[in-house]
Amino acid sequence: MAILSVSGLAISFGSNHVLKSVNFELNETEVLGVIGPNGAGKTVMLNILTGLLKPTAGSIVYMGADITGKSLYDRGRMGFGRTFQIPRPFEKLTAYENVMVGGIFGDGLSEKAAGSKASEILELIGLYPKAGVFAGKLGLLDRKRLEIGVALASNPKILLFDEVAGGLTESEVVEILNIVLKLKADGVSFIWIEHVLKTMLEGTDRVMCLAQGRDVVCGLPAEVLASKEVSEVYLGADEDE
Amino acid sequence: MKFNKPIKVAISVLILIVLLLMPKWGSDRFINIFILIFLYMSMGQMWNLLAGYAGLVSLGQQMFIGIGGYTVAVVCQSYNLPLWVGLIVAPFVCTLCALIISLPIFKMSGDFFTIGSWIVAEAMLLFFTNWSFVKYGFGFTISAGRVLTLTHRYIMALILGIGSVLVVYIALRTKFGLGIMAMRDNEGVSKVRGVKIYRTKLNCFLISAFITGLAGGAMHLFDGYIQPYAAFSIDWTVTMVFMVIIGGIGTIEGPILGAFIYVFLRQYLLNFPGVSMLIFGAIALIIILLAPKGIVGLLQDRTGFELFSVRRSIKAPKLPDKPESASQNT
Repeated sequence: MAILSVSGLAISFGSNHVLKSVNFELNETEVLGVIGPNGAGKTVMLNILTGLLKPTAGSIVYMGADITGKSLYDRGRMGFGRTFQIPRPFEKLTAYENVMVGGIFGDGLSEKAAGSKASEILELIGLYPKAGVFAGKLGLLDRKRLEIGVALASNPKILLFDEVAGGLTESEVVEILNIVLKLKADGVSFIWIEHVLKTMLEGTDRVMCLAQGRDVVCGLPAEVLASKEVSEVYLGADEDE
Repeated sequence: MKFNKPIKVAISVLILIVLLLMPKWGSDRFINIFILIFLYMSMGQMWNLLAGYAGLVSLGQQMFIGIGGYTVAVVCQSYNLPLWVGLIVAPFVCTLCALIISLPIFKMSGDFFTIGSWIVAEAMLLFFTNWSFVKYGFGFTISAGRVLTLTHRYIMALILGIGSVLVVYIALRTKFGLGIMAMRDNEGVSKVRGVKIYRTKLNCFLISAFITGLAGGAMHLFDGYIQPYAAFSIDWTVTMVFMVIIGGIGTIEGPILGAFIYVFLRQYLLNFPGVSMLIFGAIALIIILLAPKGIVGLLQDRTGFELFSVRRSIKAPKLPDKPESASQNT
């Protein structure tokens, strides 16, 4: 069953038509990978889905209800969680407090409930030993984990990942993949923007390729990555054909 | 420099007792200095709540000093009510004003808010100098304060100073406070995480108006005189900025230290009337260059020093599923 269906999504900044028409469906507990060259509008799409930007056209239907006009705040409460491409933790708060912010403000929990939830989440994402460390002092992998943790604390149904694996080593990527698998088993769906191919092949159920503001192709990861459309997008069309 | 909790509590109680008993042993001059320190501390603390935590760099805090002072003057002088009535009414009048003012100036952000708040304060000054009800620019004598002894004044200032610190401390310990600190670290992200930015900022603005108004009322009650050019002078806010910047913005300890430095410095610099402002400026510049986060900020970076910790830590011990905790049990 589709938890989220997006149709005809478009946004323009003046005469710059960043997204022209994006259509896709996300099924429950599915991981949908999103690839595409720089400037294809991947992050912009994520910003529209979370409500940070308003689309100029198109509709977003979430669990049967049209949420195109809903605010950032409402969508957070409805079950949208996200991470940022460049991790942006609250630097003068500890890892534990960062996760609590997600629970208290993203899910309306009491301080006590958010606290116990935060320790569960820190355990899950492997940051428990560093719970008391200032987020500003964490390394890149830990910051990326923390991004996931804060997003998780708001009890999301859909997690939007903006390049969580970028800049990590192979073994670190595996750790992120394991976290995703665990969450999937708990009933979370994902939209996952990434450049790292390994994550796309191993971590996703389907992959969508965005280019020039449109969804070019969508399907099984291995097929999409091998498809003619994707090689055209990345390498340019062969002029002889 | 990390103390555990009982020692911290013991030290705090000790300091509080020493401060409470100061009228018994301090000289009049000394007590007067401490009255000023506590009043300025509360003002600095409130400016810090706005600028250091809520990201609202206000240059209009003097309007609450002025309105607080005038409320006390009108209640006690024009209506001849007891002085405690004036001191109760003043902060509420200021909070109400803040609520009304917030409607237009919260539409502005960043530098525009700073300028907007200043303009409102200047407009308030002009309004008061042209208002016959408050005797135009001539001002008022406030005779209600004459019954107060030095000890009374000292205790009132002490309550205000310590109270303002506690208000900020308690506010930061609550859920609301976690949102304030998240907002301080990154406003954009805190919004994405669900912090209601407008409401959080408004709450900070109202709290600061309440306590700044009370401080303004007390200040003018003790002076026994109020006059619009002094009451609505931007010098008040400049002083708050000075204290918070050199003490450490975005920390609770900063404005406390800043108030001590400012008042003692001012007492000393009174001997150099012409150049005192130059010296203040030079000191502020040097500290901004050497320690951009203020003295307390520098200390925190170097040593992790925190007198008032608003940290939350994991309270429930984990189940002994970890090897190290299991080995401790055996």
